[in-house]
Amino acid sequence: MIQRSRNSTAARLTMTFAGAALAAVTILPGKALADDQDVIDYRQHAMKTMGEQVAAMAMMAENKVPGDNFAVHAQILADVAAMAKSAFTPKVVGGKAKAEVWANWDDFAKRLDALAASTADLAKTAQQGGVAAAAPKMQAALTCKGCHDTYRDDKK
Amino acid sequence: MRGTKASVLLAMAVLMMPIAGRAADDKDVIEYRQHVMKTLNEQSAELGLILSTAVPGDNVVSHIDALALAASISLKAFVPKVQGGEAKPDVWANWPDFQKRMKEFAAKTAEMSKVAHEQGPDQALGLVIPALSCKSCHDVYRSEKK
Repeated sequence: MIQRSRNSTAARLTMTFAGAALAAVTILPGKALADDQDVIDYRQHAMKTMGEQVAAMAMMAENKVPGDNFAVHAQILADVAAMAKSAFTPKVVGGKAKAEVWANWDDFAKRLDALAASTADLAKTAQQGGVAAAAPKMQAALTCKGCHDTYRDDKK
Repeated sequence: MRGTKASVLLAMAVLMMPIAGRAADDKDVIEYRQHVMKTLNEQSAELGLILSTAVPGDNVVSHIDALALAASISLKAFVPKVQGGEAKPDVWANWPDFQKRMKEFAAKTAEMSKVAHEQGPDQALGLVIPALSCKSCHDVYRSEKK
């Protein structure tokens, strides 16, 4: 049984301070900041996971390491790409994400949907034909840079 | 004399070639296994955020699948006996123990994935902490100073 303690703690806090507006104002902004960092951490873990897969797959495509597990990396990439958009749904500016992510949400969402589709296709190709079949499709499937150039601030 | 010098130089070049080649390959082997281990780390961190209710648990099954997939290939990434990175020489000196631990880790995460699909994410989340015995293995086989 998993205890989801933060929600219950938050509920108790809300009840305790229900009549004390000053206390609520003091506590709530602190909590919002902590939550924002969690949201940023969460999406950064997702993006880094994709980065690790692309790096591993590139090493295989370049014959630097054996390509036996190319399909496994491609599947991890597809799994994470499929949920990447949901990691950016909370509008929390910070980390390396530019404010444009949310200002141009329709375009950003469209690009992540396209990434999810192209990585799913790449994983399928890798499953069927291994690195030899999938490697030539990598460049077209992985449009990372096009999106990062617009929506990621590498300086941060 | 000139011939001897040329022969020596040629012999040195031949001797150096495999060394240069092997050094490059070793770096690749280390980089590759680090990509695999970092994947495990990133996905464990995602599950940690979900377990602590810091973020919603909508993607639990995907994270568990990604973790189980990476765990399934992690032992193979250490098969080439290439010391370096954060891996201690004990990885290869105690290979049967290291191998046993990695296989257990892969089996536990595979079971977690199976439970996630068959019984649902909440049941699978209950298996995360017992499955992730990362620290006990890192304490023995990983040198974080490097």
